[in-house]
Amino acid sequence: TGGMSESVEQARNRFQSELEFIQCLANPNYLNFLAQRGFLRERSFINYLKYLLYWKEPEYAKFLKYPHCLHMLELLQYEHFRKELVNAQCTKFIDEQQLLHWQHYSRKRTRLQQALAEQQPPQQQQAPPHANAAAK
Amino acid sequence: MATVLEKSTKERLLSVVDDLEVLSRELIEMLALSRSQKLPQPGEDTQVPRCAVILELLVQRDREFLQLMEVAQQQGKVHQEMQLLEKEVEKRDSDIQQLQKQLKEAEHILATAVYQAKEKLKSIDKARKGSISSEEIIKYAHRISASNAVCAPLNWVPGDPRRPYPTDLEMRSGMLGHMANLPTNGVNGHLPGDALAAGRLPDVLTPHYPWQSSDVSVGMLPPHHGNDFGLEPPGHNKENEDDVEAMSTDSSSSSSDSD
Repeated sequence: TGGMSESVEQARNRFQSELEFIQCLANPNYLNFLAQRGFLRERSFINYLKYLLYWKEPEYAKFLKYPHCLHMLELLQYEHFRKELVNAQCTKFIDEQQLLHWQHYSRKRTRLQQALAEQQPPQQQQAPPHANAAAK
Repeated sequence: MATVLEKSTKERLLSVVDDLEVLSRELIEMLALSRSQKLPQPGEDTQVPRCAVILELLVQRDREFLQLMEVAQQQGKVHQEMQLLEKEVEKRDSDIQQLQKQLKEAEHILATAVYQAKEKLKSIDKARKGSISSEEIIKYAHRISASNAVCAPLNWVPGDPRRPYPTDLEMRSGMLGHMANLPTNGVNGHLPGDALAAGRLPDVLTPHYPWQSSDVSVGMLPPHHGNDFGLEPPGHNKENEDDVEAMSTDSSSSSSDSD
């Protein structure tokens, strides 16, 4: 099957599935699952992870809705990281940190708005509708 | 012009002076002798020509001496000129060395400048290659922010099922999930809080999430690979039964869980 060329349809499907798969890597629980099944020790899988690095290129990256996956993909290139993922406590820690990081900007924004609200006199105080609108 | 074979002027002068000395000594001796001795006439006759010869030689030698002195004088002048010229040559030499030093410095400075200019050109090229239209960047920024993929929604509290990564539910509703032919009453999403959503929606009708983006990416193809991995990505076919149960049990509930 080495020299087999794929049809355009097959290539599109492959694009789709690879897009989905790489974003799944953003999920630490899924990483734990993969590690415990031994996938992260298989040479072919490791090669596949290296191949997936093409998603870092701008023309591909723009399709990623969950960009955290790229960071995970980079970490997955390291054997040490792959070994640690077997440990459920490790992935739990990663999950926690990921969520905290995810909340960082909203917390920062809330704090900013609070500070602004305290500074300004009550009449000129504006509700922050634009923040919610952007978030939705 | 004196050649190497001829004697030097100094030698010649000295030999002439020696000759003069010898001749004059002989003459004086002869005169002294003739005075002290009362010689008969035949004796005087032989001595007079001898004196004359010596005198002639003497005069000759003297003339030579004077000539040689002139030559020596001229040679002295020439020597002086030579020294002056040598000094000039030295001066020119030092000038040349100075210019050489400056040239070297200039070369060094220019080389540095050229090198830095080249580096600048390289970085300009690099920047140009990586340039993306601001519109695209803004579009993408909007896309990942609006869906709360990179920034938590402002009203997020623990228990909210939303995550910065695809949840079990989303994963199973995608192309990979459907490839696996899952049982319809699969286990619920990764959080008890998601059970409601999972219970309501049979897999067949699960919504098509934008992170799978088939509409946006129409026409996009992945880079070619020669199937050398040999392994289908997990979450596929045979793995999936384990996939479903294991994910919910192994994914020990995240800290934000609430029962």
